[in-house]
Amino acid sequence: MVQFLRFAGIRATLAFITLCLVSFIVFSLMELVPGDCAERYLAFKNSQGAQISIADIEAERVRLGLDRPFFERWVKWIFNAFQGEFGDSCILRLDINQLLGQKVWLSIGICLGSLLLAYAIAVPVGIIAATSRNPFLNNGLRLVSYLGLALPNFLLALMIMLFSTMVFGNSLTGLFSPEYRDAPWDWPKIKDFLGHVWLPVFILGWSATAFAIQTVRALMSDEIGKLYVTAAAARGVAGRQLLMRYPARHALSPIVNSLGFDLNRIFNELPIVALILTLTEAGSLLIEALARSNDQQLAGAIIFFLTGSIIAINFITDIVLAIVDPRIRRSILG
Amino acid sequence: MSDTNIYDAAVDQSAKDAYFTASQGQLIWTRFKKQKAAMVGAWVLVLLILSGLFAPFLTPYDPTIAGRDKDYLNGAPTIPQFCDDNGCSLRPFIYGLERERSAATNFRWVTTVNTEERKYVQFFVEGSEYQMFFMTFDTHLFGIEDGFIHLFGTDSTGKDIFSRTFHAINTSLAVGTIGVFIAFVLALVIGGISGFYGGWVDSIIQMVTDAVRTIPAIPLFMALAAFIPDTWSAEERFFFISIILGFIGWPTLARRVRTHLLTERNQEYVLAAQLCGASSGHVIRKHLLPSFTSYIIVDLVISFPYMVLSETALSFIGLGLKDPVNSLGVMLQNVTSADVLLNYQWYFIPVIFFIILVMAFVFVGDGLRDAADPYGDSKK
Repeated sequence: MVQFLRFAGIRATLAFITLCLVSFIVFSLMELVPGDCAERYLAFKNSQGAQISIADIEAERVRLGLDRPFFERWVKWIFNAFQGEFGDSCILRLDINQLLGQKVWLSIGICLGSLLLAYAIAVPVGIIAATSRNPFLNNGLRLVSYLGLALPNFLLALMIMLFSTMVFGNSLTGLFSPEYRDAPWDWPKIKDFLGHVWLPVFILGWSATAFAIQTVRALMSDEIGKLYVTAAAARGVAGRQLLMRYPARHALSPIVNSLGFDLNRIFNELPIVALILTLTEAGSLLIEALARSNDQQLAGAIIFFLTGSIIAINFITDIVLAIVDPRIRRSILG
Repeated sequence: MSDTNIYDAAVDQSAKDAYFTASQGQLIWTRFKKQKAAMVGAWVLVLLILSGLFAPFLTPYDPTIAGRDKDYLNGAPTIPQFCDDNGCSLRPFIYGLERERSAATNFRWVTTVNTEERKYVQFFVEGSEYQMFFMTFDTHLFGIEDGFIHLFGTDSTGKDIFSRTFHAINTSLAVGTIGVFIAFVLALVIGGISGFYGGWVDSIIQMVTDAVRTIPAIPLFMALAAFIPDTWSAEERFFFISIILGFIGWPTLARRVRTHLLTERNQEYVLAAQLCGASSGHVIRKHLLPSFTSYIIVDLVISFPYMVLSETALSFIGLGLKDPVNSLGVMLQNVTSADVLLNYQWYFIPVIFFIILVMAFVFVGDGLRDAADPYGDSKK
């Protein structure tokens, strides 16, 4: 138990260091872009008709603390970020937490849903594909996994929109029906939400599913040929029991390990799919923050959230693997 | 041992000799040729690359606003045909179009097809001038004498989608090439240092690489691309986007280079070279690099579609390339409007080319990977 806690502690520290490193990269990139928050805000005010002088910009910089050295501001930013404080948005002058609010949790929820869906499909299909000798099935799955790359999520979303508009005359966009958009969460709203959310979940999960099927299949077909499987078969274990108790358990750990990167892949396409399907959650807010208003404070916070959840997933999978996989467990316990 | 014996053995062995003395490249090519899917992919790829390179010649019009057909906005594709009710002709033809606005059409411009008027497709016609290989030409593969031919229809400003698609392939390939090249150089340097020196240098570099890998690339990319000043020209944007793509794409490649170097540097031939007094640089260039060139080429081909994909995604949301540079993403901007979805579906034709292009790359990449694997034959 002590060793296990120590292992968890080391992993947590590593995750923390990675998060700091990532935040440093994101923060410096946000700093590198031309113009700072003070200039942006005052430029915005100027466009509203106010007279702006250089002195005003300087005063605003001091007020925002932008005159402090880079490193000090980063430490302050990361310190606040861990407390869940991201400060105010550059242009809208609203608290970022308020602005993001449930949108972040909604989008992370959608992405996790896609990830779940991807593996719920990929694991059984991959195992069947690895054991089946049916060339039709195998070639079909190969094609699907190639299409996962060649028809990326946003193109799939476009194609589905084109198809649904042509056939049903309805483009299936949005997350809520208009009457529920600002309503508090209750049963009818949840039902309405579930009625809309399946499409983005499916579209976001599409590429990940295609890749996951390929991975599961490759891992399983590697394991199936091994001697311990033959030995088990010789002992009289057969059928599903043979697959589930022997090769599937071996193939499990690399798959659990890759969850973090699959989440990364899903996050990658979230903003674009969100834009196409006009989902009003964090993904499209990111585009809003970047493309329309160049709001680096908001953009930094969103990227920090996304990366943070990937690191969290990586940490959780490490711990889960240590519990589930006896090989890793033994290596920890010594 | 007599002379004849040696001679016979040589004849028997000639096939084997060819195998044993073949260079790495020849071996890979032999294995690659055996894979049908990869060969088809390779041919399609060559075809697409050539059609991208010779786009100005193959397409009838200039893809920019200069080549627009101002009388045929959002026009449906005009498909050449050989036969109609008035009989057949060996030379394909399209129908003439008439555009009118009157009380009968509620004072809107309405284009009608005149099936009585035939316009024959001509080959090697002279049209707009274009630059190719630093020379100026004005001959296009096909076109019609009077009026316009639009195989894939036109967009909202009357630009020919067929011409734009072929130019877009060229752009996407160019962006991908520059991006892959930058990613490759970075990966080689970073992965090379990490793998060759190992130890604490390796640990630190790996940590940074992993951190970079956890950041979702496209959102980050959007953050960077959004800050390109509006004053930049289309060409400057093009290079900037390619460079960012390269800067974001290196970690995966670097990891592969590192892993390979870590296994190779403990091989005996490296030790032998070091004992002979070879410098680190010499060992890397003369011994280590050749040992995994083929892997690197394969990785480059595999990472290519990701570059094309990212560029398309970015341009699609309007943060990447912009008019007048044509890329597949630029062409897909604004297609989500209900108007396009309901009435102008030919806007989606470039998607087919995109899918074919990426598929071809994936097939070739997969085929190359299998072919470059020296143990691929013995496995089966």
